Amino acid sequence: MRRAKLGLAILGFLTLAATNAQGRIKLVALPERDVTIIRLDNPHVCFVEEERVLTLQKGVNKVDFSWKGVRIDPDSIRLRVLSHPEAVQLLSLSFPPDEAALVWEIASPEGWEERVRISYLLSGLDRLVEYRARTEKDEKNLALNAYMVLRNFSGEDFERAKVFLDSEDAFEKRIQNGETKRMLFFTAGPIPIIKTYTWDAAVKPHDPDKTLETVGIPVHYIVENKVNHGLGDSALWAGKARIFQDDGQGTSVFIGEDQATFTPVGDRMELYIGDTREIKVTQRKMFEKKVNVRRNNGNAVVLYDTDELFTVKVENFKKEPIVLTLIEHIPGQWDVEESNFKYEKETANRIKFLIPVSANGSEMLSFHYHRRNCR
Amino acid sequence: MIARKSLRQIRPRALIVLIVLGLPMAFPQSTAEAKVDLVTLPERDRVQMTIYNTADLTLIREVRRLTLRHGGNRLQFGWANTLIDPTSVSLRALKNPDKVALLDVSFPPRTRGLAEWNIDSEIAGEEPVEITFFTSGISWNAFYLATLTPDERAMDLEGYVRVTNRSGEDYANAQTRLLVGKINLIDRIIDLARREFPYGLPAEIAVTPAAPPEAKVMLEEAERVMRKVAKEVEKKPKEIIKEALSEYFLYTIEGTETIPNGWGKRLPSFKQPGIPVVSLYKYDEERWGDRVLRFLQFKNDKDHKMGREPLPGGLVKVFRRIDEEAHLSYEGADTTRYIPIGEKVELNLGAARDVRVRPVLIEFRTDHFMFNNRGDVSGRDEYRTFRVEVSNFRSVPIKVEVWRHFDTVHWDLTNYGDYGVYEKVDLKTAKYSLELPPNTKKVFTYGLTTRHGRRAE
Repeated sequence: MRRAKLGLAILGFLTLAATNAQGRIKLVALPERDVTIIRLDNPHVCFVEEERVLTLQKGVNKVDFSWKGVRIDPDSIRLRVLSHPEAVQLLSLSFPPDEAALVWEIASPEGWEERVRISYLLSGLDRLVEYRARTEKDEKNLALNAYMVLRNFSGEDFERAKVFLDSEDAFEKRIQNGETKRMLFFTAGPIPIIKTYTWDAAVKPHDPDKTLETVGIPVHYIVENKVNHGLGDSALWAGKARIFQDDGQGTSVFIGEDQATFTPVGDRMELYIGDTREIKVTQRKMFEKKVNVRRNNGNAVVLYDTDELFTVKVENFKKEPIVLTLIEHIPGQWDVEESNFKYEKETANRIKFLIPVSANGSEMLSFHYHRRNCR
Repeated sequence: MIARKSLRQIRPRALIVLIVLGLPMAFPQSTAEAKVDLVTLPERDRVQMTIYNTADLTLIREVRRLTLRHGGNRLQFGWANTLIDPTSVSLRALKNPDKVALLDVSFPPRTRGLAEWNIDSEIAGEEPVEITFFTSGISWNAFYLATLTPDERAMDLEGYVRVTNRSGEDYANAQTRLLVGKINLIDRIIDLARREFPYGLPAEIAVTPAAPPEAKVMLEEAERVMRKVAKEVEKKPKEIIKEALSEYFLYTIEGTETIPNGWGKRLPSFKQPGIPVVSLYKYDEERWGDRVLRFLQFKNDKDHKMGREPLPGGLVKVFRRIDEEAHLSYEGADTTRYIPIGEKVELNLGAARDVRVRPVLIEFRTDHFMFNNRGDVSGRDEYRTFRVEVSNFRSVPIKVEVWRHFDTVHWDLTNYGDYGVYEKVDLKTAKYSLELPPNTKKVFTYGLTTRHGRRAE
């Protein structure tokens, strides 16, 4: 199989008109890449800048740039003259028929070496971020390792490339076409963890005794991207996070994974690690009645309120106390008559309770409310 | 007789290979020659398996002794035809973690099932390293054997775990741990193991599906491994140490286990005699029609001689001792849910023939009609009287629950007779709990008033 390769040839034309008929002839040795920069700060596009030194002759030079088998966006290709930007002029750019190539015409007042920077957008080369976290046995803190995974299926080998992510720090890597490379990106820790248990009445069954499998209640770790939390230098990129826990035996246990979302500095990263089956929630509607019924002239009901009561029993089978986040949804207009636990109205129709339950204990929430002006 | 073959001949497809390529990193182009320059093929020193039961996932941790050179070392890790997730593989120096740095891991082009680690070492000589990775194909499940006393007041419960290895790789003398819990996984390990490119391709390139690895069980090889370790097998049953970890439980099996590819192993987990149980019968037309279902009820707590550990979900086969010679009869089986410590257990043994619940409607009438402006009926009350006959034809005392459901929320009940304990369960459900001595019958009635139309307002 023929290897894809970026080529760059300089065709020095001293007598312009006479040589046009001969077509493009590669006259000068291919200048090797000097510095190559791969920018992956945009999550969707790879941007490459490469610098090469051209030996220009006095007069008009033709520089041939070809990219057969390399997934370059031709309309994104740019050339910038660096050594003599005032003197050297870019005259034209043309694309030969049926070729992944272009030809620049460059006019130079002298014969000299000219450093140029060629840049383009490249498909098939991207990066992933992967996290591996290890929590302490008591789940108070975690240590985070972030890995960068470079995937190069662009058609081009990069022998020594400076790879830039979203900061000014770069790392130098050799990455061949078809290669995937994983490297440690940064480590951080100890980072405090907030652990939450969330039961949502719209998602979970209300009578767990009637389900075939024990109902699991989602457990999340919340990590804050803050300086005083061992992070906060820069945003945390989206990527798969695998979480391990110190098992107290000198080794660790894998306790779950989640797709971390992009987390700017100051924001929280929420990771769903798995379900607990040590907390049981049973919700029951105990009372419901239409009240304040209003009728039209034909005596048909046009408006009514409701009087409703539900109870939620929370049982904690764990040896430690917990705080359960309980989410309830109430449609339309409503108000509360009585609740034995405090709640927070998150939206017009969603309320949140934080229910502390002692070790091996249970609590019963009783929520008495009215829906108003139902039709 | 089958001719003895070498390990490589027998199992060329399923072998984790680790080769140290002690070459200076300044010559990265010399990959082809480097692979010939084999320095060490380190054997596993120690292996630990942590097997999950709610996902097809096992965390393998092995310790191998590498001979490193000062400077750059390249280490090759091959997993062709195993079910290993290559993205999970990690390496850590144990003795000199500050002097041995893993620079990067490369999955080179035009190769499958092969990774190269670039290691920078400030020391020369032997270094134990820990390699961890996920594999698919090893599983465990719990199951139980229960034996009731003839009077059904107590039960002996034996818990077992069965570990099965279909990973394509033998694991000899491995410390075996089982994780009880529901972890969140965003990718199946088997899918990651079968990917042509470990991290897939950038989105815009079409992915070519990879051929699945062969799953042929290599019996000869497995037997060889089994024979090799047979001498090391201890004669007493092994203990399983159980401890809570985060939201999960970790079971660590005493000593080490050898589980060749294709083999399974059954291990006793616990044994508890004399657990007090209640024979509970339930009648609930909404769930089971007119059948009475039989349950064995106990709690996973100290009062029931349990409560030391949660019970992982699994099949429970229930037997009953029927005579002095401890002959058994098979009573039924049920798959339990996960039972945390302190939670009640109800094993459903299926429909009962010798306990009967017969609710009969014995009276119906309507009253309190309301009429609208046009003279049509706009509201009414309905009165029903049910007689419920509960019969225990068994020679043991039993508990019976009779569940009743109503199709309206506007109802009232009045109970008469021997109805035991009445409970309004929720807006549309009521429950009667009765206790019946052997060969007895109880009868109760209830009057049900339901309000309809405007009477319900």
